[in-house]
Amino acid sequence: MCGIAGRILQGYGAVGNDLVELMDAQAHRGADSTGFAIYSELCETGYKLRLIGFSRPHLDSDLDDFAHILRTHGADYLAEPVIDDSPDRHYSVRLLISEPTDLSHWIQDADLISDRIEVQSLGKSLEIIKDVGDAQMVADKHGVRELAGTHGLGHARLATESSVLPTASHPFWARPFPDVAIVHNGQITDYYSWRKRLQQQGYRFMTENDSELIAVWVSDQMNKGLSREEALSKSISAIDGVFTFMISDNHGIGFAKDRFAMNPLVTVEDGGELAAATEEQAVRRVVRDECHVVNYDGPSLTQTWAVGPHTVAA
Amino acid sequence: MSEVAITVGDRSIRTINQEIQAALADGHSVRVKDTLSRHNLGIGLPAGAEVRFEGSVGYYCAGLNNGATVEIERNAGWGTGEAMASGHITVNGYSGMSVGASMLGGTIHVRGDCGPRCGAAMKGGDIIVEGKLGYQSGFMAHAGRIIALGGAGASCADALWDGQVWVLGDIESLGVDTQVVEPEPEEAASVETLLAGYGLDDSAHDWRKVISSQRLWYFESRDASAWLMI
Repeated sequence: MCGIAGRILQGYGAVGNDLVELMDAQAHRGADSTGFAIYSELCETGYKLRLIGFSRPHLDSDLDDFAHILRTHGADYLAEPVIDDSPDRHYSVRLLISEPTDLSHWIQDADLISDRIEVQSLGKSLEIIKDVGDAQMVADKHGVRELAGTHGLGHARLATESSVLPTASHPFWARPFPDVAIVHNGQITDYYSWRKRLQQQGYRFMTENDSELIAVWVSDQMNKGLSREEALSKSISAIDGVFTFMISDNHGIGFAKDRFAMNPLVTVEDGGELAAATEEQAVRRVVRDECHVVNYDGPSLTQTWAVGPHTVAA
Repeated sequence: MSEVAITVGDRSIRTINQEIQAALADGHSVRVKDTLSRHNLGIGLPAGAEVRFEGSVGYYCAGLNNGATVEIERNAGWGTGEAMASGHITVNGYSGMSVGASMLGGTIHVRGDCGPRCGAAMKGGDIIVEGKLGYQSGFMAHAGRIIALGGAGASCADALWDGQVWVLGDIESLGVDTQVVEPEPEEAASVETLLAGYGLDDSAHDWRKVISSQRLWYFESRDASAWLMI
């Protein structure tokens, strides 16, 4: 039993604060870890990176090695790394980098030191902030309430399938596809066989979390020519388990729900904005007035919502 | 009986429920305001109580009802009236998953549609849905009636044990081990009498009554495929 949330604002605004509210209201669904995917202003050149390192005493040498690999791929830092100053052993880094010559080759090489420092997200707009603890703890530690953007996702995790670790928290980035993230409520039962097939195609999974599969699976389907809507529909018959997941990129948010209809999703669309959560009472944190609520309670459902002056794209 | 207004807002649900119970014990009726779709409001309400929730409520509203009359002005979340023993609950809007789950008696009246597994494992009482029943309505119900005036979603009455699902309009598909039978005139009259209390009766109603085929009452391995319909 996890809790998920999505938010789209009509323009650039306090999406971080809204997502913290949506997740704080659902902290009782799981407080092992909490995470956020925030879509902030597009960078014209290069990428935004979020990293987690596992041993703070080795921070300097980890970053030196990370930068060295980056430089061998023709890229470099565009600004000084921003590192959290908590007393925790693991550390979080925000980086701006110029464009590597070949993104997927660089990610493969960067992952050679992923036992020390691991890329959590990469994108022109996407930043994934995740850590152990409930929404308030993660928001306070990483300043999530202050993060502005157009849209994003949130997740509260009750760990079932794998360890409670910062890196095994949601949202998951669809390695190596820039700007794609997912959050998942449920449990995938055939993830091991799917992962094996995707690994044979060259994809790399960093955790033992079942949900990590979904991000890569959907992106791979889209890479093979399916639209996002088609990939979401296909996931319902192709992936086994119980799930309601949301997937986001620079253009919007989509969701899919399994055949068993066990994991709810509630949405309010109001003035070109979207608030979505597992529980209606969470949505009411950001839409206080009585409003038209849509309950995606049935089986085998998908929907997508576009960012910007948008209409529902069925 | 004077009315007491209690505000929910961001306050503790335990405190609010204690205030509701105290007001009822003093002989008042209760109006609950600013509900913000929050969970577990009005649990274990006593016989004779009258409670009205303004706006929408979250999960398990009026669960374990023990004879109170409850009205929810708008929508309700999961498990409304779960395990209620007696009394009456009206949901004026949509009622989420598992409305009336495990209820033992009393009535629940939903004016809108309801979510999946309405009346799951119910053991008595009646659920009247003016709109459409969700997926797997009456899932493993042991007794009682679910009465839907606006059709039923897929897998209707799935694995029904010994309850009844009465439907007007389309049934998207039937669940496992179910059959549609012609109701006896006195059974239909009993349903119409119940509906008359809400002004919903009509002698022209063309009911389909869904009951268990009783094939899965005793599991045998040769029936395994019958369970694997989904």
